[in-house]
Amino acid sequence: MTCIVNVKNLTKSYKNQSVLEGLNWEVEQGDVVGLLGKNGAGKSTLLKSLLNISDIDSGVISIFGEQYNQLSSSSKARIGYVPQENDEISWLSVKDLISFRKQFYSTWSDEKVTELVSRWEIDLTKKIAELSPGQVQRVLIILALAPMPELLIFDEPAASLDPAGRRDFLKEILTLVSDENITVIFSTHITSDLERIANKVAILDDGKICYFDDLDVIKESVVQLTVHCKKEQNITIPHLLRGKLHSQGQFAVVSQLDQAWLTEMKEQDVEVTINPMGLEDIFLELTA
Amino acid sequence: MEQFIISPSSGIPIYKQLYSQIERMVLNGYFSIDQRLPSVRQVASDLDINPMTVSKAYGLLEERGYLTRLRGKGMVVTARDNEVLQLEKLAMLDEMIKELLAQAKHMGISGDKVAQMIKHNITDELNETVGKE
Repeated sequence: MTCIVNVKNLTKSYKNQSVLEGLNWEVEQGDVVGLLGKNGAGKSTLLKSLLNISDIDSGVISIFGEQYNQLSSSSKARIGYVPQENDEISWLSVKDLISFRKQFYSTWSDEKVTELVSRWEIDLTKKIAELSPGQVQRVLIILALAPMPELLIFDEPAASLDPAGRRDFLKEILTLVSDENITVIFSTHITSDLERIANKVAILDDGKICYFDDLDVIKESVVQLTVHCKKEQNITIPHLLRGKLHSQGQFAVVSQLDQAWLTEMKEQDVEVTINPMGLEDIFLELTA
Repeated sequence: MEQFIISPSSGIPIYKQLYSQIERMVLNGYFSIDQRLPSVRQVASDLDINPMTVSKAYGLLEERGYLTRLRGKGMVVTARDNEVLQLEKLAMLDEMIKELLAQAKHMGISGDKVAQMIKHNITDELNETVGKE
């Protein structure tokens, strides 16, 4: 697999507040990665660091195998980015903004722009400042998709979209990723969006990527257990995140379901019930 | 067009949800032998999920012999003799019975009691059919 994004030992602090502390991360080609983290965990900082929009204190970042701050212009054109906040020139009309941005790209697709503008009913004559937040976000998405990028970075892309708008945005991303060479990284608080489109989940906590794996693997590893023993018995549950003892057993949440332990419990006639959890609960448990 | 139902926020991975639905649909004859399944792209776009997830479910169904990949045709339901099919149906029921017995055990109800309850249900069903006639 080709490594598209490779981050080693990234640190970043604002004033005395350290945000990223020796973060390591590798994203491979074709992955659709959902990035989760609490408010202030540093998701935007991380994404902006990859794009060299935000300065870093130390560490090594490479994108498409090139050093992140020395990307060739052709490599830059292969990246699409939708920021969390609109930093586009607000006095330009949508039409003028699109033509302005178009001149920087040789791979720009007018077809894509026309298709999305009509589908999302964007009024080209309006000034950016006159658009609703949802419409601004759609324009930013169009600007990011028009150059047909190979690496897409979205910082909470769906935050100001209504459910129908979000679903439509997800559909667009899914159409894109049916081309297996396209890599997507998006930060979000909406776990149900992530569960639909991502194949991998990264959790940013305490300045590091504390969990990074296939969504399916996470769902089968991080589970709730109810342990019930017939006789009085002390049971140690491996990879315990949280547990509560009661008269005849325990309620527990584990970060890794241990198959060998399960077999052992069965042999000792201890009943273990496994209850899977949705991603939102998993995230809360892992970052508690 | 065949529509599958998924719940993305469930703790059960989506590919597993798809897998067990299609497995059931093949075993209960909803999908007949040689019937073509909707394409990966079609299912992904209908359900708004990642195509990789659908491929994973289809791949697993192929591995377990439920589906066969035909060049240019996509996935079709594998033709298998009744004996094999019967074994698979029984295996599926066996899983369900195990689950039922485990649940009963949790409630402190014996396997014998469950067996007795099943027998009762069969008698009731018989009586109902006789009554209708």
